[in-house]
Amino acid sequence: MLELVKFTPAELTILLLSLKVAIFCVLVISIPAIATAWLLARKSFYGKSLLDSLVHLPMVLPPVVPGFILLVLLGRQGWIGKYLYEYFGISLAFTWVGAVVASAVMAFPLLVRAARQGIAQVDRQLEIAAQTLGAHPLRVFFTITLPLALPGIITGLILAFSRSLGEFGATITFVGNIEGETRTLPLAIYTYTQVPDGDIPALRLVILSLLLALGALMLSEKLERKANRHIEHQDD
Amino acid sequence: MIKQLAVLVSLCVSAWMPMRVAYADDSIKVFAAASLTNVISQIAKQYEQENTANQTEIRTSFAASSALAKQIEKGAPADIFISADTQWMQYLQNKKLIQANTQVNLLGNQLVLIAPTGKRFKVNMEKGFDIAAAFSGKLCTGDPASVPVGIYAKQSLTALTWWSSLEPKLVGTQDVRSALVLVERGECDAGIVYETDANISDKVEIVAKFPESSHEPIVYPLGLVVGASSNAVGFYRYLSSPQAHAVFTKYGFTVLAK
Amino acid sequence: MIEIVATLSRKRFKLDAHVALTHRVTALFGPSGAGKSTLLNVIAGIAHPDSGRIVIDGVALFDAQQKIDTPIHQRQIGLVFQDHRLFPHLSVEKNLRYGAHRFESAAQQKGLEEITALLELGSLLRQKPYQLSGGEKQRVALGRALMSKPRLLMLDEPLASLDKRLKSQILPYLKRVAEEVEIPMIYVSHSMDEITQLTDHVMHIAHGKVHAAI
Repeated sequence: MLELVKFTPAELTILLLSLKVAIFCVLVISIPAIATAWLLARKSFYGKSLLDSLVHLPMVLPPVVPGFILLVLLGRQGWIGKYLYEYFGISLAFTWVGAVVASAVMAFPLLVRAARQGIAQVDRQLEIAAQTLGAHPLRVFFTITLPLALPGIITGLILAFSRSLGEFGATITFVGNIEGETRTLPLAIYTYTQVPDGDIPALRLVILSLLLALGALMLSEKLERKANRHIEHQDD
Repeated sequence: MIKQLAVLVSLCVSAWMPMRVAYADDSIKVFAAASLTNVISQIAKQYEQENTANQTEIRTSFAASSALAKQIEKGAPADIFISADTQWMQYLQNKKLIQANTQVNLLGNQLVLIAPTGKRFKVNMEKGFDIAAAFSGKLCTGDPASVPVGIYAKQSLTALTWWSSLEPKLVGTQDVRSALVLVERGECDAGIVYETDANISDKVEIVAKFPESSHEPIVYPLGLVVGASSNAVGFYRYLSSPQAHAVFTKYGFTVLAK
Repeated sequence: MIEIVATLSRKRFKLDAHVALTHRVTALFGPSGAGKSTLLNVIAGIAHPDSGRIVIDGVALFDAQQKIDTPIHQRQIGLVFQDHRLFPHLSVEKNLRYGAHRFESAAQQKGLEEITALLELGSLLRQKPYQLSGGEKQRVALGRALMSKPRLLMLDEPLASLDKRLKSQILPYLKRVAEEVEIPMIYVSHSMDEITQLTDHVMHIAHGKVHAAI
């Protein structure tokens, strides 16, 4: 029973790698996702529903599909990857950066959805009032829209973080399952289940995953409540 | 309330029925090493065609021998097991999961060093050769901890004193075919697979062959799993027949059994 | 001197405005649905007319022919809305300062003190909008618009959502602003009672049509 909490250094490496990939994933998608969410929530333009559908695609496809598409685009012989390798020597397979890319693609729609909801429920009349007071649209966004949309955005960020921690299909298809580079928690658990005598380590990692998920949920609750208190009674 | 109960009951029954059928199904389930994918598929088709009277159906499952052994240990419904090394067959023997006296050393193979087509590099298969400098990028093979091809690879590399310089460049995949695909795609600049795998692909070329003395003999043992269906014996015997031998040889395997 | 010429066609509504204002405090009177808010939105730049011209003290904010269409945030037109629209996440003081942030701090501070005194907002400065009563919120909204030093202040039925008691409380502040602040004002209402307490110069709007030179 005790062995279930005796984490080996290898397992701690897996945990740290997962956290690293998840944190970078969230950092990479924050600005593009919030910008996209704002576009979808506030603007109408030619091709809007196409953009909306494209954004949601990774959410409705089996994860190996976006993983494979990434391979076709960014693999060493991929349409874009070819040039990345030839001119910059950049190759994403087997690297944690590639794992971040895979996670980013899968987590992007989650953040866009939550941020869009957050932004959409900000009273547009407040934004107009701000403009009559001389605020440039960018100032309106940063001083009015963003603060009031914060609870939704925070939810989105934590959802994206959790999604990245749990990312498997796209990661293993695009960058493989390389110890220390791309073997995040879910891939490690899978690897252990494929190997005889791997059940105990697998169980340890499962417990770790459960604790992380619980932690993320509780943090999300706490941050949302805090942000809501700051806004208080928007429709008074 | 009654209506919901009725729906629930019919859902349960309809879910249970396919399960009943699965257990009652008399297809022959063959679990074989990934390197045998093409050859066993062909032999199975041949067998089915020669036995249409009995409507024999063969279902195959190909993966790393280690993964298959683990699945059989956990109760996967395999009738026949063909491993790429004796270790995993012995593993199941120790768990008393292979029928007595059914283990037969069926095939042999050759370990080769490959590169993506057009990207071959110069190499001398001798100790002291600076292999790590011979190619840039990664070397793909099965996971040396458990996948047979990776285990053989590690043995050969160690015998040639290349292991320590190559280990940082090594990518361990879950089976030999994954390694092959990665070399085909150019994601790995070199790979270690079986000669029979290299033959199947025109996107890789053989750079060199590993001396047989540098690793344990590559042996593919065949065995009947405990609890196998009775009609599995037919196919088990067929695998040692001249018709099967012809196919094995065509694909480049060495036939061991007489 | 304010000149507004604007036409705007919507599905069931057509705005036809032709107005020249020379007095500082003017009122716009009309029943519900007459187009009062639409006209204000056009002047502020929130709505875009199909044709026309908006000129305030010689500055053209909109001119369909010359393709001039100044964006809302550059028109310097203060608006006090019926529903106050205070920023819920900012304190009263921050709300007041919002439109004045481009002024240097000394001028801003002076403006704050003047407005706070004029509208008796001193005790409210640290509070958040949700803590205020309806009347207090409107006073803050009025103060906020004033602090942005607009070239024109428009009040869109600011007392409509208040009860009689509150209305009579706020009206003195409005009178004070009309008398003491040197900014042109357009006061919109469907209540002649309110209007007559603030100005004699009234434009009438009905069914989207308002032609006046006052």
